[in-house]
Amino acid sequence: MTMRTPLLPALAAVAVLGALPVLLPAGLLNASIQALIAALFACAYSLLAGRAGMLSFGHAAYFGVGAFATVHAMNALGGTGLLPTPLMPLVGALGGLGFGLIAGWFATQRSGTAFAMITLAIAELLHALAPQLKGWFGGESGISTMRMPAWCLSFGSTTQVYYLTLAWVLVSLALLYFHTRTPLGRLTLALRENEHRLRFLGYDVHGLGVSAFAVSSMFSGIAGGLQVLGNESANYVVFDAGVSATVVLNSYIGGVGSFLGPALGAALMSFFGYAVSDTTPSWLLYQGVLFVLVMMFMPEGLTGLVTATLRLLGRHGVMAVLPLALSAVVAGLLLAGGSVFLVEMLQRLCSQDYRSLARMSGTAPPVQLFGRAWSAAAVGTWIVPAGLLAAGALMAGVVQRCRRGLALAASPEVPERAAALSERALP
Amino acid sequence: MNDPILSLRGLRKSFGATEIIRGVDLELRPGERRALIGPNGAGKSTLFHLVSGNLAPTSGEVIFDGQRITGWAPQRINRLGLSRSFQITNIFPKLTVFENIRLALMRHHERQYTFWRVIDRLAGLRAATETLLEKVRLQAQAQTLAGEMSYSEQRSLELAMTLASDPKAILLDEPMAGMSSEETHYTMELIREVTAGRALLIVEHDMDVVFALADRISVLVYGEVIATGTPEQIRSHQGVREAYLGEEAAA
Amino acid sequence: MDWIIFSLLNGVIHGLLLFMVSAGLTLIFGMMGVLNFAHASFYMLGAYFAYTMQGIVGFAPAVVLATLLAGAVGAVVERWFLRRVHRYGHAHELLLTFGLSFIIAETIKLFFGNYPVDYRIPPALDTAAFVIGSQQYPVYRLLMGGVALAMFAAIYLLLTRTRVGIVVRSAIYKPRMVEALGHNVQLVFMGVFGVGAALAGLAGAIAGAFYTTNPNMALEVGVMVFVVVVVGGLGSLGGAMLASLLIGVLTSLAVGVDRSLADALALVGAGEWARSAGGLLTLKLSSLAASLPFALMLLVLLLRPSGLMGEKA
Repeated sequence: MTMRTPLLPALAAVAVLGALPVLLPAGLLNASIQALIAALFACAYSLLAGRAGMLSFGHAAYFGVGAFATVHAMNALGGTGLLPTPLMPLVGALGGLGFGLIAGWFATQRSGTAFAMITLAIAELLHALAPQLKGWFGGESGISTMRMPAWCLSFGSTTQVYYLTLAWVLVSLALLYFHTRTPLGRLTLALRENEHRLRFLGYDVHGLGVSAFAVSSMFSGIAGGLQVLGNESANYVVFDAGVSATVVLNSYIGGVGSFLGPALGAALMSFFGYAVSDTTPSWLLYQGVLFVLVMMFMPEGLTGLVTATLRLLGRHGVMAVLPLALSAVVAGLLLAGGSVFLVEMLQRLCSQDYRSLARMSGTAPPVQLFGRAWSAAAVGTWIVPAGLLAAGALMAGVVQRCRRGLALAASPEVPERAAALSERALP
Repeated sequence: MNDPILSLRGLRKSFGATEIIRGVDLELRPGERRALIGPNGAGKSTLFHLVSGNLAPTSGEVIFDGQRITGWAPQRINRLGLSRSFQITNIFPKLTVFENIRLALMRHHERQYTFWRVIDRLAGLRAATETLLEKVRLQAQAQTLAGEMSYSEQRSLELAMTLASDPKAILLDEPMAGMSSEETHYTMELIREVTAGRALLIVEHDMDVVFALADRISVLVYGEVIATGTPEQIRSHQGVREAYLGEEAAA
Repeated sequence: MDWIIFSLLNGVIHGLLLFMVSAGLTLIFGMMGVLNFAHASFYMLGAYFAYTMQGIVGFAPAVVLATLLAGAVGAVVERWFLRRVHRYGHAHELLLTFGLSFIIAETIKLFFGNYPVDYRIPPALDTAAFVIGSQQYPVYRLLMGGVALAMFAAIYLLLTRTRVGIVVRSAIYKPRMVEALGHNVQLVFMGVFGVGAALAGLAGAIAGAFYTTNPNMALEVGVMVFVVVVVGGLGSLGGAMLASLLIGVLTSLAVGVDRSLADALALVGAGEWARSAGGLLTLKLSSLAASLPFALMLLVLLLRPSGLMGEKA
């Protein structure tokens, strides 16, 4: 169900976003631009995967086509005045829309897992072909371009690029939200709910699928165009399976049940990646583990967790929920701490540098981690993660007890609800 | 006026080696109300699937409104004016009742590709939805999730969605299953009112409904129509009594 | 002429390898309705397990152990992960296997590094079997094909001639009924999943020594396996065999063709125009070889959406 975004908090959020260039240093501002693009991409993806129920594993294709369309337009039209720089992502939209219509026509012939496989294959096809087609995709090194001044702005500074990206993302998100309120958007939702029945109501289900695919691809193309605008280059690695994987992970971690869930998930993961990827090469592993944990224990994603907590608060009050919340946070921290320690230790022990060092010195030298030197052979080194994980498991047990306690506390309400039902059933 | 609106000619359907529908001939006149009865397993639902495009027949023809619709896709058949309900409730369980009916009405109002207007603003669509909602007495449940209603309420919703497209011929598959006698009576009157001037083919086990509602009755046994006639003719038909009560009853 | 025989042999063997991996996948799909994204990860795990143990126990035992280990990982995945999300639906299961494949790949990069490892054929097997024209045909390729054929025969016999096979085949069609008859369907599911994973692991253990063993193996093979399963028809073993061979032979033959579409058009006099138009027309077929299976898949989707031997929808 769509979460109705209340107007006041939304305006406040926009105000904060608008003030970011003043609040953040240049590096973080760049990360913010990437986070905005990732948020738009995830929202566009979620239109297809979350609302229409069509899981695409190759969405990088439409992002990438939009990117390359934009870079070619920038090189061809930049500075001529035919299409000023701020409007360049329109070309990305057209590219994404066009390619999305063709690819969508093929892919939506099948549904479910077959559909997912087809989308993956289309993206892989592009990834394999792109380096060969040097005219279109620039081969191994890609195509570069420059932002041309327009509308009395030079577009040379990060701040101006940020505001341009912000404007496009906000407009696109608004349009995507508008789509959910239109008849076509409601039908897209019905596609996920009961495609079979739609046929017997006279709808062209294939056409509806193609339309959902095309709209999703169009906005993915805008996101791709925005990235090119920021980076001033496009490279065939944009078609990589990792790009498709990332948007899937981001969307579901955020939660596809609500409109902004995927956007928030993508922004969060994007910032997290920016912060963490320099300190550890195992960043992707953490992202994958988080995704699997969410899939298994929080199927509604992080936003689902938030709404569930709010529901619990409403039903039981803060005092009753507090032990559950605290123990859950502590359990999470302990388990996370233990796992991170373990992964980081293993990562350093198995790295090439360490191995050659060990071979040269003949023994296992200590490993530098979190500011201390740990010996690989010492029991103490391994007791730390073991202890953290064990404590975390114990806390998880406490969390379960708290949850069961809350559920039991809720049961006196049941007789009241049953009485209300029987009153309604009379004609 | 004398041309049948729906004709089934020599319709057969086999699943592998098993023949379920073994040569059905049936003609439905415009505006006629026909009940299809028969023992369990006779193939009544399968027949509906063949007519509505859910299954393709192994051989034989289906002709609707002068067109050969054998093997057509379900949406094409529906657009021609044939609408059906399902024995196993086939609604949108996680959407509200209001949304369910609105979805069913959208195509009839030619609104399915409208992507430039907010749906809540379409006054005509909203009015039509509310009217249909009241007709099936679900207005109090308008904002309830369809999957959370009682079984009989879901059957009412199923009926409403089938009627939404203003069809020329309606196929109803056990619409009253699970309803109380008051609900059954109300729904029967509703069906009678809504199907005035339309052709109706209804599968029902409740004989009171069958005899009160139907102009004519066809009896399907083991994939074949063994009798067609007025309720009086069917009541006294020997073959029908044997099919339902066994050969001892005839003796 | 020799080149054609050479390529055909390579193609058939490559196809048989693909089949080894896709057989398990299509069986699991037929039974559980979920396309296991992590299936190709078992292929990769098999290669890495074998590589790790080759130094300790020798090649053949390493291959056997790797197969068993991969199967064990498969059983664990089914029992502890898939079963938990079964109630959320097929899309959810697919996403979970997607996440698992991601984790497996990253874990391998954690332990072995983000580059290929030196998993090689033992010198005893690194000889020529026979000579075609001027080229020597390696023994190992024949071994790979032989193992694949033996595996196919074993599965076929197991499924059609044994009691276990009957239970498995019935569980594929009607799991509830089989459960009602007293069989432990949960165990059957876990078993089939494990066997499917073991087969993929075996394929990886054997192929990894010949081709490279690197953390991207799963993705490369995985995409190809999915194309096989879509082309052959989801759930059809025969379709998987047919599609695997088709793709294997097609790719293999294409790799040897150094001509492009422009050369073909030259036969009708449009060569100059094609060459000046550039782009796709001047790409040599050998460079396009990797993309051919995708083109085949799109073609099959157009003409026969349920796959070559799949059930008509």
